[in-house]
Amino acid sequence: MIRWKVDRGLEARMLLTMLLLAVLYLAFLAILVSQGVDNIIIIIFAGGFVLLQYYFSDKMILSSMGARIVSESEAPELHQTVSRLCAIADLPMPRIAIVNSSMPNAFATGRNQKNAVVAVTKGIMQKLDQSELEAVLAHELTHIKNRDMMVMTIATFLSSVAQILVRNLPFMGRGRDRDSGGSFVVIFAVSLLVWILSFILIQALSRYREFAADRGAAIITGQPSNLVSALMKISGFRVPTEDLRRVEGPVSALFIVPPLTRSSIMNLFSTHPPLEARIKALQSIEQSLVS
Amino acid sequence: MGFLDSILGKTRLPEAKTDRLFAISTAAVTMEANLGLLPDGQAGLCIKPMESTYYESARKEIEDLLKLSFQETGTLHAIQKDEYGYIWVVLTDPDFEDLVASIQMISQILIEQGFGTQLLAAVYRFRGEATVYWIYSFKLGSYYPFVPKSGKQRDTAMEFRLRSIMQSELPIERDMAKWYPMWGMPI
Repeated sequence: MIRWKVDRGLEARMLLTMLLLAVLYLAFLAILVSQGVDNIIIIIFAGGFVLLQYYFSDKMILSSMGARIVSESEAPELHQTVSRLCAIADLPMPRIAIVNSSMPNAFATGRNQKNAVVAVTKGIMQKLDQSELEAVLAHELTHIKNRDMMVMTIATFLSSVAQILVRNLPFMGRGRDRDSGGSFVVIFAVSLLVWILSFILIQALSRYREFAADRGAAIITGQPSNLVSALMKISGFRVPTEDLRRVEGPVSALFIVPPLTRSSIMNLFSTHPPLEARIKALQSIEQSLVS
Repeated sequence: MGFLDSILGKTRLPEAKTDRLFAISTAAVTMEANLGLLPDGQAGLCIKPMESTYYESARKEIEDLLKLSFQETGTLHAIQKDEYGYIWVVLTDPDFEDLVASIQMISQILIEQGFGTQLLAAVYRFRGEATVYWIYSFKLGSYYPFVPKSGKQRDTAMEFRLRSIMQSELPIERDMAKWYPMWGMPI
């Protein structure tokens, strides 16, 4: 059995993000208490709703993606691969679903390790070769192993509570007398700030979970490069197949090569880290495996 | 190409960069230790085709240079033309250091003789689980890996692995869109 290697930096960042979310939540709870509001009821409702979402999320996600659970006889190779990876990762065998879509994609869902589902699209099975698909499956299994579904649900719950609180704070003037427009502007700005902050924090947390899943996939398969190759293919980038001599030839055509997309501001709002950052992280894992 | 040259429409090809060509000789040690790859005793120098009338004289000139150069080292050499019309200088020597030194020397001589802009690539072959090529582009001044599979397919996972592991020792081309393969090389 493989012992999970610990990435201290990643752990610290995750912890910090979760802590900040909690602080945000608690700060608003404190304000709430000081105002003596019955917003507790709203939170109970919100909590109940999130709990419901948590328990039925796998079914919701699967049906919204049009995924169909397949039996072992329907997809024997996929089952074999996943069960082998589960043996390495020490996970119970999840159910497997196939999405009838040509877009290359894969995801994992389910509230805990025993109720997990791993889904892949038909597109990804066509586009990737066996070892690359294995790396992607290992990535999704790491999400299950790390209980990401639970972590993200809790994080989303905390942020939604913070938002509810902001909207319902008594001095926000909901159904109450207002004397000045100035304080309203301030409070509106604060609530907007809370929303943006919690949004960014959740996205950041999600990106850290992705890095962790990449790392897990690298450790389970022992071959980080397979995931790199898979990520590149999924993103539509291909190493050229056109011969150098043809490209450099006397009658050379103009080649328009899609560059690796770079963005900086968008990174803050994205649930997945940029491809380059993921590849870089995987490369350093590859190097550490050798030395 | 300078700004004035491009304004005036004077096309000048970039000069061949040979300064980082040597890096492969130390990298070979790491490649054997970490990847189980061994030099396969062959390397090639790929030269752009020229006007056909010029080709024969160029070929003869290169041939003479080679004969003179390898009298002592005993490196075997052959000159071939490939399906794209490119000239290949194929070197065979079981000693990898000699092979690298020979490639370096020939490319240096060719540059001195005015063939610099015609130099396309130097290629080294390694063997392990699969055949691995390291292609040095004289234009880019950097190396990149090429691992062919059957049916003009590339083993990209292996190529990425080579990059990850060799990055610190070999100047590897960062822009993967420039990792052009060379199919059916004479080495």
